[in-house]
Amino acid sequence: MTLTATHELAIDIGGMPILVRTDSAEFAALLEDRYGSFIHAPSSGRIFTLDIDLIPPRTIVEDEDVSVRLESGRWIMTRGDFRAEFDPRTGHGWVRQSPNPYSIDGVLRILHSLFLAREGGFLVHAASAVRNGRAFLFAGVSGAGKTTLSRLAPPDVEVLTDEISYVRPSESGYVAFGTPFAGELARIGANLRAPLAALYLLVQGPENRIEPVDPAEAARAVLRNILFFAHDEELVGEVFKSVFDFVARVPVKRLIFTPDARVWELIV
Amino acid sequence: MNVLMEEMNRRALALNIPLGAQLDVTYRCNERCIHCYLDHDDHGEMTFDEMKDVLDQLADAGTLFLTLSGGEVFMRMDFFRILEYARKLSFCIKIKTNAFMIREKEADLIRDSDVSSVQVSIYSHRPEVHDAITLLPRSLERSVRGIRLMQERGVKVIIANVLMRQNMADYEGVRALAKSLGVESTIDPTITPKMDGDRAILGLGIGGQELRDVMHNADLVGNVDEFCATPPPVGDEDLDTVPCSASHTYCYISPYGDVFPCVQFPLPTGNVRKQKFLDIWRYSPQMNDVRSIRPRELPVCSSCSHIGTCTRCPGLAYMQGDMRGPSVQDCEKSYARTGIPSANMKLRFAATGGHPVEGQQIVNLVQIQ
Amino acid sequence: MSCLMTTYVARSKQVAARMLGGEMMIMSPRDTTLFNLNDVGSVIWESADGQTPLDDIVARLCVEFDVAPEVARQDAETFIQELAEHGIMHVSDQPIGAEPPRQEPS
Repeated sequence: MTLTATHELAIDIGGMPILVRTDSAEFAALLEDRYGSFIHAPSSGRIFTLDIDLIPPRTIVEDEDVSVRLESGRWIMTRGDFRAEFDPRTGHGWVRQSPNPYSIDGVLRILHSLFLAREGGFLVHAASAVRNGRAFLFAGVSGAGKTTLSRLAPPDVEVLTDEISYVRPSESGYVAFGTPFAGELARIGANLRAPLAALYLLVQGPENRIEPVDPAEAARAVLRNILFFAHDEELVGEVFKSVFDFVARVPVKRLIFTPDARVWELIV
Repeated sequence: MNVLMEEMNRRALALNIPLGAQLDVTYRCNERCIHCYLDHDDHGEMTFDEMKDVLDQLADAGTLFLTLSGGEVFMRMDFFRILEYARKLSFCIKIKTNAFMIREKEADLIRDSDVSSVQVSIYSHRPEVHDAITLLPRSLERSVRGIRLMQERGVKVIIANVLMRQNMADYEGVRALAKSLGVESTIDPTITPKMDGDRAILGLGIGGQELRDVMHNADLVGNVDEFCATPPPVGDEDLDTVPCSASHTYCYISPYGDVFPCVQFPLPTGNVRKQKFLDIWRYSPQMNDVRSIRPRELPVCSSCSHIGTCTRCPGLAYMQGDMRGPSVQDCEKSYARTGIPSANMKLRFAATGGHPVEGQQIVNLVQIQ
Repeated sequence: MSCLMTTYVARSKQVAARMLGGEMMIMSPRDTTLFNLNDVGSVIWESADGQTPLDDIVARLCVEFDVAPEVARQDAETFIQELAEHGIMHVSDQPIGAEPPRQEPS
């Protein structure tokens, strides 16, 4: 693949920067608009690179299903709108897609879920927010209220994401990172990280209340909401282990809430 | 205007009012400039509510000139709300930003907020040099775009250039770039040591000959004869004057609420999360200690011929180990400017058995002390 | 200004301003002009909220500074005129309302 006048952007999510390279100035500008404050000088030494091979837009097969498999040591990722490969040994990969932000977004989510699996972390369908320097996760399936809860957040709360939360272990526990992966809130999250204080399992109900959750249920609830795409037994096993370690160390509770802002008074 | 400004400063000094303050809203940054003195990890920056409270307290204390900086201010999603709140309090506001994230919408908002000026750091007219300093690809292109968008809207933009080894050949290029954009530019050869005390980045600073060239460049300093003149004899006023505005009419607040005399003087004097700002400003023992310093009492500098004209920064002296001691970086500047060694340099010269010391060597020698 | 109309005055919101030792310091960002108002000027400035009629402001001056109404009125009008010429005071025969809402950043 020959690239001319390469434009480079470092997209830094979760402290794991990916250098994206494209020969299209317009696509580079599109990425800058899309990723805002996540376009960042690499914040760590190890940088992964991703070359973008742009193809003309064409009728996309409506195929949301993503396939991620390991072949000769390389990750092969395909979906109706893109094909990508990544070699974890060299830290280098490429994406073939038309000039749109959704494909690269999908590839980034997959790559980060793969990186995190090796690090004891994970991506999970959860909203997360920071208050008083501590992060809170709110897990739930589509419709559980993650976006509603995020919208109701008072001014002293910084919403990291309403849809996809990013969790990594640290020396003293876990850290939640802001990501640019937006759900219906369609608002890019803050490029911020904070130590994780608690995970709440979201349920809508007649009143705002917090209830205990037993560890087994906590693990099941997180696993149900995990984002992981690879059909690889070893890595899936890593993710399982990460989740069990996580619920053992981070308080998990049930948050029953009516859709009104007073629920936030319970989150301190 | 200058007369009125002086009068204003005089009055603020007499009344012990912090007329100016810099509030850093975050230490997070999308750049990782090689010469930066900050730790960019977030350790719990103040929330929007806390920021509003600090701004209220600063206004009540009489602060008029407010610099909003960081880190990169636009890493905060609520920056425009902070700015709007500050404007409602009638501060005269200066913003420091790398302008990377400034597009039409942000430039419109900045124009509408009636800030006094926006300062943007540009290290070279060449992208390969500038980007190698910021470590953010395409940062020169994006920063220039942000500058242009603001300038077109009538916002006063100032380009600030920090001189270091990596870009010392390009300062004329930066001046030309500023001219072509229709904005002012400033230049500063000072590398600030890291706030945590690490002095290794001082190695990036330019050395003796290059510093001399900069100081003797009429385009940069104006009248070279005046600027580089031998200092006049030291008088009483020089020894009894207030050394700089830090702790007198100026102070600094970090994103974590720490109050310092200046961003370049990280001496903890109190924290607004624990105390009222005015109590810290008026009664902090550390702040009052700084406030009491006069050139006359400085052990080495009081006997220096440069004491009346030196840019001696007590913060740099503090980071060197003693806020009443010399600031070797300012010794170098005075020497580069006038060719006359400072009292501190003469002491070092004697201590090394009569060997000439210059540039980086001075820094090393003082560290051996 | 006609004696038959009610006059309203509003200080510009585009300036920077702070009370310093009993006197108002005002900086106009456009041309970086600096204004130092004395005690009378500072009272007029603080009262110029766009809603208080000038007559009321003048009445306040009479009380606070113990001056005759005609003197107060004349001084106030001269002062307001000068600030208006510098673009930092607005004068109208209608109350001067709030600024239009700013665009919200998304």
